[in-house]
Amino acid sequence: MGKVNTVLGPIASEDLGITAMHEHIGFGLPGCDLDTQWWKKPEEAFDVTIQKLRRFREHDGKTFVDCTGIGNGRDIEYFQVLSRRTGVNIVAVTGFVAGDSALPYFRNKTVEYLTNLFIHEITVGIDGTSAKAGAVKVGVSREGLSELDQRIYRAAARAAVKTGVPIITHLSTEPELAIDIFESEGLPLNRVLMGHADVGQDADEERDKMIASRGGYVGFDTIGYDKEMENAPYWSRPRQDRVKHFLSFLEKGFLERAVISADANCCALGWPGLKGHSVNYLFEEFIPDLRKAGVAEDVFEQLLVRTPANFLTMQEPSLKANPLSNNDIGCVPIIKS
Amino acid sequence: MVEHVEHRSGLVRTVLGLVPAQELGVVLIHESLLSVMPGAEYAPEIDMDKSKIFDILHRKLTGFRRSGGNTIVDHRGMFHGRDVKLYETLSKTTGVHIIASTGLGPERMLSGYFTTPQTHPPTPWPAEQFAGLFIKEVMEGIVVPRVERSGPAGIVTSIATQSGIVQIEENLFRGCAQTGMATGVPVSLQYGANALKDLEMVLSEGIEPHRVIIGGLDRLDAVKRKEAFAVAERGAYVALDHVGWSTREGYIDDRERARLIAELFEKGLGERVLISTNAVGCAKGHETKDIDFNYLLVQFVPILLQAGVLNEEIRILLEENPQRVLAVDAPATVKRETAAGSKQK
Ligand SMILES: [Zn+2]
Repeated sequence: MGKVNTVLGPIASEDLGITAMHEHIGFGLPGCDLDTQWWKKPEEAFDVTIQKLRRFREHDGKTFVDCTGIGNGRDIEYFQVLSRRTGVNIVAVTGFVAGDSALPYFRNKTVEYLTNLFIHEITVGIDGTSAKAGAVKVGVSREGLSELDQRIYRAAARAAVKTGVPIITHLSTEPELAIDIFESEGLPLNRVLMGHADVGQDADEERDKMIASRGGYVGFDTIGYDKEMENAPYWSRPRQDRVKHFLSFLEKGFLERAVISADANCCALGWPGLKGHSVNYLFEEFIPDLRKAGVAEDVFEQLLVRTPANFLTMQEPSLKANPLSNNDIGCVPIIKS
Repeated sequence: MVEHVEHRSGLVRTVLGLVPAQELGVVLIHESLLSVMPGAEYAPEIDMDKSKIFDILHRKLTGFRRSGGNTIVDHRGMFHGRDVKLYETLSKTTGVHIIASTGLGPERMLSGYFTTPQTHPPTPWPAEQFAGLFIKEVMEGIVVPRVERSGPAGIVTSIATQSGIVQIEENLFRGCAQTGMATGVPVSLQYGANALKDLEMVLSEGIEPHRVIIGGLDRLDAVKRKEAFAVAERGAYVALDHVGWSTREGYIDDRERARLIAELFEKGLGERVLISTNAVGCAKGHETKDIDFNYLLVQFVPILLQAGVLNEEIRILLEENPQRVLAVDAPATVKRETAAGSKQK
């Protein structure tokens, strides 16, 4: 079928198996390392991370996509050791969680610079290693899709077209603007996972439908951030609301456009994390909730194996230049899939 | 966990420990050793070879030492490439005293952890929270991120946006003042658009003027408004810290700077004046002015003499004033912390 970059080298798409599409070994906002309140003993952080990944293996989980962007705690050599020691494939991403978490050095860079940076990390390696990124992360800043966010989206689209890796977004707010950027760069929407569509305050079924009917993937990928949990963060949501939201999406016939993941931290870096939450919530809580609601077993195979493989498999690089992409004359190719 | 107590004032916190102020000799108070624009370390085009960085800094510090310099203050704060372990080695191998700083700013050099916390709404950090972070770097030691605490910070610094201080920078300035009051280290601030106004805002926290240094007062706009005189008369230190810079870069040139210094001495304000070059020893990810740490001693001191500044006044500028302001004001406990020893959250 094709290949996917992992931190230990490319693997066959057939080898991905059960895949969690939006997870974190450890996430922290840049600068959090300066604050000792978050420091953990490295041996304990390693221990808890290994335990969670091992349990993921026990659930037959095989591939873990780490969506931590540049400067947010993405630690390639550490990922390599974790992957070797647990047997879990780890896919790292290039890109930024959002413009407001890009470090100062990258904030004033041009689309061309950012494109080359992402391509470098996808084709040469990350942080001086030979580990290559398997996807590009982009996202919406706290105040909305900023000018910098849009520059990153555009660069990500160009890098995705050139290298064949997909794009994963943090948040699906202002989807029209995001989709315009992708399409104006000639990137079909079936190469984009519009993430965190299940975040409580942003839930919008019309938007989900719009993205899916244009071929995009809709991420129900903050699963487990339930309001019922102790010290649940602001983006959490009543557990059954999320289940209903997801079932409603499936009922519209969009199973093949749905992605599920937990956005959990194995060991959070610059925030408390959510106690008791891990990627394993998918298997231990969410899938049982769906079963209870009458969802058939083959749906899980689609959600956890077939869809991730379809999405993550690197496409034939399109080396054709896209001369229209440098101007905004409205002459954009509309690609429908 | 090492713990010891200062028994008297007159001590300065260097990266190698406490040093009596009078042993600092000739001091450059506003310089940068390693200066990395935050994030540049992740860029594939930036060469972060530490042996090369060491060689460059070692050469420049040795040149400074040979020209009669003894002490350098790295005033770039905690998030612009500061490498305290490297500074310790450089200090040991060159004999130059190095004072490292804590602090953050300007706004455009801050990162998401400070500006958009994971709360709703994402309220930027208030002054007290910044003070908490900075005070620990003085009292418990400078952080080697996620590894350990090292030697103490000897000064707390911040920088305002030149077009005018913005809200989070005001929080930083106030946090610096609180740090100065809690720990006794001096507070060094690069003003925004109006030095005196920024100074008054900081003083409203209750810090004494003689614990505050206002930098950038050789900027063209500040000189036009005679801000150096107003700041010195208020009792704060005036840093003419762009020696070697010129009008093209927005500063008065060296001859005018020398005249300004002579005038400050004539007005009886000489004991509030500090001079430095704002040189960067090794810059990564940003442009910088090409100026060596020995420029001030080799090139500028003769210009000062020509302008009629006396040898004794030059000694006051380069030794007495910086030694006085760097001496820690109050006794305080210093302790260390490592990743292994810090509390598990
Ligand atoms: Zn995430």
